[in-house]
Amino acid sequence: MRPFLEAVRTFKLKPFRTADLVENLGYATGYARNFLSQATRQRLLVAGPKERKREKTFMVNPSVIRKIILKGGREKEELIEALGLHSKYLGEYIALKGFEVVDHDLNLYTLGERIFSDVEGQDEIVITNVGIPKKIITIEI
Amino acid sequence: MGIGKCWKFNDCEQPPYPTIEVTVSSADHKATISPKVDTGFNGSLAIDRESVKTLSLAPVGTTLVKTATGHNEVSLYVVSISQPDLAIIQKTLAIGTKRSLVGRKLLEKRTWLLDCKKGRFCIITD
Repeated sequence: MRPFLEAVRTFKLKPFRTADLVENLGYATGYARNFLSQATRQRLLVAGPKERKREKTFMVNPSVIRKIILKGGREKEELIEALGLHSKYLGEYIALKGFEVVDHDLNLYTLGERIFSDVEGQDEIVITNVGIPKKIITIEI
Repeated sequence: MGIGKCWKFNDCEQPPYPTIEVTVSSADHKATISPKVDTGFNGSLAIDRESVKTLSLAPVGTTLVKTATGHNEVSLYVVSISQPDLAIIQKTLAIGTKRSLVGRKLLEKRTWLLDCKKGRFCIITD
């Protein structure tokens, strides 16, 4: 998961090659190839557009973002950090569609009402908190 | 002032606790549940695992909530709630918890009677 999060942090939506992993993240070529092949098998990465003949590019699979958020835990926290959302939305709730923040609010219910009032596109959107919400839901029991 | 609709306390634990009956529906399923009234819960509805299964709810997110013991991460679900005595028909987010709860968001704008002597939770009418 670590190299995947590094790839998210560094390339976000942009396609990247083995050489980019070597140059930007300091990985050994063998390690980078291994990671790419494993991450592609796990559908964490998908094939990107071919820039030159015989040169493969890879992109982070946007649908993985939703899966990781729904799984929760440390990986979710690390992904949100890797996406660079802490600086903009700390303490808020966000609605993500792939990499894109489609809406955000300090109030979870207000955000939910806006996002889910429309039936279409619900399957692709995921709602989550960035850090500890300023208007956190409390339960006494 | 008078007493309107009342719901019986649930006595499956001691002392018994107040409940409200609500109908919760998803796209394809409907269930009537009697969640515990939790005035310390500032949300609308918390839904237990069994109801999540019955309603075939798929999570639409996750969030941190604050409990008496610290922070917990819970799943979020979209549900439609119907409670005719409270004139409530709304689509809202419900959080996934061990037991179903009704929070202050559904109780607000009403006057309530917590009648522990008779074991009932009632709406006070004007």
